Amino acid sequence: MYAGKLARLSVSILVFVGAWWTSSGTFFESAIVPSPVSVAEKLAEMIWNTKLFAHLGASFTRIILGYALGCVIGITVGVATGAIRLARDLIEPPLEFCRNIPPVALIPLVVSIFGIGEIGKYFIISYAAGIAVLFNTAAGVLSTPQIRVRAALCLGARKRDVFVRIVLPSAWPHILTGLRLALGFSFMGVVAAEMLAADQGIGFLIMQSTNIIAPAEMFVGFLMLGSFGLITDQLFRMTIHRLMRRYMIPLA
Amino acid sequence: MNWRVLRLEGVGKDFDRADGGVAQVLRDVTLSVERGSFFTLLGPSGCGKSTLLNIVAGFEETTTGGVSLDDMTVTGPGTDRTVIFQDVSNALFPWMNARENVEFGPKMARLSAQVRKERADRYLRLVGLDADGGKFPFELSGGMKQRIQIARALANDPDILLMDEPFAALDAITKKHLQVEFRKIWDETGKTIFYITHDIFEALLLSTHLAVMTAGPEAGIKEVFRIDLEEPRSPSNPDFAAMFSRVESLIDEEVQRMRAR
Ligand SMILES: Nc1ncnc2c1ncn2[C@@H]1O[C@H](COP(=O)(O)OP(=O)(O)OP(=O)(O)O)[C@@H](O)[C@H]1O
Ligand SMILES: [Mg+2]
Repeated sequence: MYAGKLARLSVSILVFVGAWWTSSGTFFESAIVPSPVSVAEKLAEMIWNTKLFAHLGASFTRIILGYALGCVIGITVGVATGAIRLARDLIEPPLEFCRNIPPVALIPLVVSIFGIGEIGKYFIISYAAGIAVLFNTAAGVLSTPQIRVRAALCLGARKRDVFVRIVLPSAWPHILTGLRLALGFSFMGVVAAEMLAADQGIGFLIMQSTNIIAPAEMFVGFLMLGSFGLITDQLFRMTIHRLMRRYMIPLA
Repeated sequence: MNWRVLRLEGVGKDFDRADGGVAQVLRDVTLSVERGSFFTLLGPSGCGKSTLLNIVAGFEETTTGGVSLDDMTVTGPGTDRTVIFQDVSNALFPWMNARENVEFGPKMARLSAQVRKERADRYLRLVGLDADGGKFPFELSGGMKQRIQIARALANDPDILLMDEPFAALDAITKKHLQVEFRKIWDETGKTIFYITHDIFEALLLSTHLAVMTAGPEAGIKEVFRIDLEEPRSPSNPDFAAMFSRVESLIDEEVQRMRAR
């Protein structure tokens, strides 16, 4: 069973890399799609001269701060919109409007307001992450079954107990889904922000590579996004599995 | 608390309907439930039984009239009245294991860990699940879940258990077992039971008092019986059979009336 899964995984990766390798220099010019070997060489070079770490460090700092800020705001406002009728009626309409504006579309405006400094990037990432967290949190808070709240009231729970011990735990699965989606959106947000206005970061690396005609650098950028996205997502899932398991169990 | 009678006096209930109209569900319901009795409510589907139970629980406000324990008016949910819900999957807290569910009430009452543990031990044993305290609701069968819900209610020591078709979702055999067990639990604990069912057989097996409701809208109480059947109760007893057909014909009458509208 496990061996079979491993075999399928290896085949899938081999086919993918093989397709890339054979199309580079044949179907695509190697000046546009470089071969895996030249990308690996470039990667080694960038590790050796530490240029890669500067880009990674810049992007990660932005993601971590922007994501954290977005999550705090998203959960706070999401809980308020879910739990308080007045807050929902006041806050939801403009948010429903904003959720249709992708973070990328805001970049020109953000650059005009904040310039190309870090604050604008935190804003873009927090916005991307915050919207996802907010809507999922609000939905989670609203999804608490009425019977569950009533059962707690019969057993002597006060308003505060109901909120902390019943409503929040009921909302956790939704909130965690939001946090995980938001992590993906943070990666998208950081790249978009860095492509338009930055002098460091993975997004900048990708954008700059076309100007200086260094296709292998662009693919190193892809490699970093793909693998670090995958790693953080897996870490996220493992952490949830360890810490939040009892909230994720099936209801039936 | 020391009270003698749970009184419903002139209880009426209207709901604002989603289409803007008003649903006149209950009209002038007056009942007296003596402490320690097993009071069962029967009636055609949709007549307002659950609405009435929710009013007694304090979840819904009355439109007219009120509910009181002697001279204390019921104004909201309280630990003196605990509801046992039919939808047990939502009623139990899914992230707490059976024992934590049972300890929830004592915890809300700020009882010490020692007392909470004793309570949980005692009531898990009473419902025959002392070995299953560590299991989560999703690991329990429907019957086991309903037992946990009963244990959780009893661990909080309420005066009244309000039960809305608690065994209706269970298979016939589990249901039969739980009816017999629950009757024993009632004998031992002496709680006052306010019970809703569609099952006349169950009603006659368990109750000391039985009320039949009229069909809605504007449903009320058609007739109240005291059930003095020979113990242990058995359907082969001719009095049991006679009572059964009498209650059945009363309900049929109401269903006919509802259809005729
Ligand atoms: N929140 C509500 N808003 C509007 N109408 C309601 C509401 N709750 C109940 N009703 C109406 O009140 C009537 C009685 O409902 P209730 O659930 O009390 O009936 P019931 O006797 O318990 O039925 P059943 O035997 O099927 O469980 C129904 O006609 C229902 O449509
Ligand atoms: Mg009902």
